[in-house]
Amino acid sequence: MSESPNPESLLTMTGIVKAFPGVRALDGVDLDVLPGEVHCLLGQNGAGKSTLIKVLSGAHQPDDGVITWRGEPATLGSPVAALRLGIATMYQELDLVPGLSVAENIFLGNEPASFGFTKRLAMRGAARDLLRRLGHPEIPPGREVGLLSSAGQQLVSMARALAHDARLIVMDEPTAALAADEVDNLFRIVAELTAEGVAVVYISHRLDEIRRIGHRVTVLKDGRTVAAGLPANTPTSELVNLMSGRMVETVFPRRDVSTVDESREVLRVEGLTREGEFADIGFTLHAGEIVGIAGLVGAGRSELLETVFGARKADAGTVMVNGKPLRPGSVPAAVAAGIGLAPEERKSQGLLLDQSVADNVTLASLPAFSRAGFTERGKELRTARATLERLDLRPADPRRIARTLSGGNQQKAVVARWLVRDCSVLLLDEPTRGVDVGARAELYRLIHQLAAAGVAVLLVSSEVPEVLGLADRVLVMREGRLLTEAPAAELTEAAVLDLVMEGSEVMT
Amino acid sequence: MDERVGRSGLTDRLIVRPEVGALLGAVVVFVFFTVVTEQFATIGGVATWLDDSATLGIVAVAVALLMIGGEFDLSAGVMTASTALVTATLSTHYGWNVWAAVVVSLLFALGVGALNGWLVMRTGLPSFIVTLGSFLALQGLNLGITRAITGTVQVSGMRSTDGYAGAGYLFASTFTIGGVEFQISILWWVVVIAAAAWLLVRTRFGNWIFAVGGSAPSARAVGVPLVRTKILLFMGTATAAWLVGTINILRFTTVQANQGIGLEFQYIIAAVIGGCLLTGGFGSAIGAALGALIFGMARQGIVYAQWNNDWFQLFLGVMLLAAVLVNNGLRKRAERVRR
Repeated sequence: MSESPNPESLLTMTGIVKAFPGVRALDGVDLDVLPGEVHCLLGQNGAGKSTLIKVLSGAHQPDDGVITWRGEPATLGSPVAALRLGIATMYQELDLVPGLSVAENIFLGNEPASFGFTKRLAMRGAARDLLRRLGHPEIPPGREVGLLSSAGQQLVSMARALAHDARLIVMDEPTAALAADEVDNLFRIVAELTAEGVAVVYISHRLDEIRRIGHRVTVLKDGRTVAAGLPANTPTSELVNLMSGRMVETVFPRRDVSTVDESREVLRVEGLTREGEFADIGFTLHAGEIVGIAGLVGAGRSELLETVFGARKADAGTVMVNGKPLRPGSVPAAVAAGIGLAPEERKSQGLLLDQSVADNVTLASLPAFSRAGFTERGKELRTARATLERLDLRPADPRRIARTLSGGNQQKAVVARWLVRDCSVLLLDEPTRGVDVGARAELYRLIHQLAAAGVAVLLVSSEVPEVLGLADRVLVMREGRLLTEAPAAELTEAAVLDLVMEGSEVMT
Repeated sequence: MDERVGRSGLTDRLIVRPEVGALLGAVVVFVFFTVVTEQFATIGGVATWLDDSATLGIVAVAVALLMIGGEFDLSAGVMTASTALVTATLSTHYGWNVWAAVVVSLLFALGVGALNGWLVMRTGLPSFIVTLGSFLALQGLNLGITRAITGTVQVSGMRSTDGYAGAGYLFASTFTIGGVEFQISILWWVVVIAAAAWLLVRTRFGNWIFAVGGSAPSARAVGVPLVRTKILLFMGTATAAWLVGTINILRFTTVQANQGIGLEFQYIIAAVIGGCLLTGGFGSAIGAALGALIFGMARQGIVYAQWNNDWFQLFLGVMLLAAVLVNNGLRKRAERVRR
């Protein structure tokens, strides 16, 4: 791919590198997009797709590499610059202004105006034409965007791309928020646009979608292009093999002796259902066992953990801890029964960032540190320090402010909170997100130690190798359903990926 | 599915207008005081409460634009005194022509507004804090400089200054309807409302105001000049405060150095009653004007009803909560019907 670019290409990216402190998110990406094609980007979480999109949309500047646009070298210095060239990006979180009308959003920053006054009628007329072109003449151009459904908002976002006369539209998981009929409509529009010569860079984890509308596929792994411009009908097994086998930066500590105590069932979940999130989930968790849940973001994993924890109320089903049913929808009941949750959004949901580590660690067990309504500071600090030492959180200074800790240490502080409470079930949601490589290994070791001490661990992770490397048993979720349950030793990364992405069971 | 995406009934459309709550409130207050008092709905009564509403409303409308743009200006209240002091001091103590003094006062206001905006954009600090700082600083300057120059805490004697007649005609005269004199401030208010409403819904700049307040990153991504838009909005509130300061000094010919304190919250309250969200990105100029109207009607209505003025604050609190609850409820309803 690094030879001279194809003269017919609309866009060529060669050897793109982008490093952030501690990570090389892109480490030599090549991408070549032809006019009028749907070019799919495939890769696991952390493969570099999002960073690549940000480079393409002008939000990030690459450290190295060459971008050629319609045969000329190009610099995508800012989102506006990219837009002016004709590259429009539709992010997953739609970036519209809710208080403005449909037409005003479509032409924002680009308003047809004379002497500062917008030509309202012209603008609405043009918006109506664009929406008609997208097959949705019924969306009123004067309607406030905040009052449209997500499908409607997506159409507005697409109309805006067309208003900028985009030659390339980047779509980041556009079907994630859509119902089946809306997906059909989106695909019809994509087909029409490509017929007019517009190119689409399409990011999706759903292989069936890629088969339906994609022309070519580029596969990313560890920030590199591992296969460029494959035909979209490349067999699943081949794609999955290309994506898997990621360089595992951390060696998973070996667990020669399983610590699972089959005789002590700590958690039993039966028929757990929440409308629109997940349905009929059932599994068990034993003392000393680590169970991993693999699945894509949006498969309902975090929602499941939060429901077990009582932060969401189940529509049906039961959660039993040590044989006793748990009062649904009550976090205090879950905590009293010995469940602890380290949430995915550690900073916003897990920690009091501006409080000391000691305050954070003792937060869930304050009664134990209070006498007559006063907090016993000395005891609090002693316990916190002991726990931090046990977790090897350095420096083990309980007076430090949580915000000043590294990601890995913040995660440890959250786990420490539940250790102080002696919890018997620990729910970990993406525990290594935003944690650097060295600290990951420590967290893995810590999780093993917890299991060895008899804690039952339920772990959610988007990183398949992490789930396979850590867990005794693996549950695979897709679109709110439990697809399979198997001992980790019997699964391969490719097999899990295949399940997660397509739901078909092609064992390699 | 098609109706669902594009559903648009007349009631839905009316309900999502930000000023609905304020309009209902204004009608209720008007009817209430018309029934309870005799003078309220007379021409004389109307002239009185319209004037009160106008001096509040001129700034409230500008503050509403700023709030839609996602920022606050706590210095706007004291700025009405600062600008009046600049005009009065220059013309009474230094013998300037009133017109020249008024222009310098405007430049001063624009400068402070630009400084507010620049500081907010440059430091990334909340405008609440930055303008709280400029509020206190201006308050100190008002007192300190006035005392240093005049030896007292007030400046008076505007009537005998050069150019007073002409400037007074523009800013502080009256016009007669049905034998009753109306203050020209009311006309200024109407002009400000019309200009602000037009700006907000009919110009590029108006779109940018909604965009920078509603979703700054999206605005930036499509090339909206974020910094310029916000700085101009701060200059707008300062200019509105200057207009009220000028009207006041020319009408009353005297200004106290400690005037204007507390008004900043009244402006914000009027804007919020009028449907502005504290989080930005939503609101209306007409709504803020209605909010100011409710203020003026209630303040004068209580006088006509010969109640103790202490009740005004209670009334205001209830009014504010009621308007916000109504706005919030309608908004929620509108969002429910969207899917």
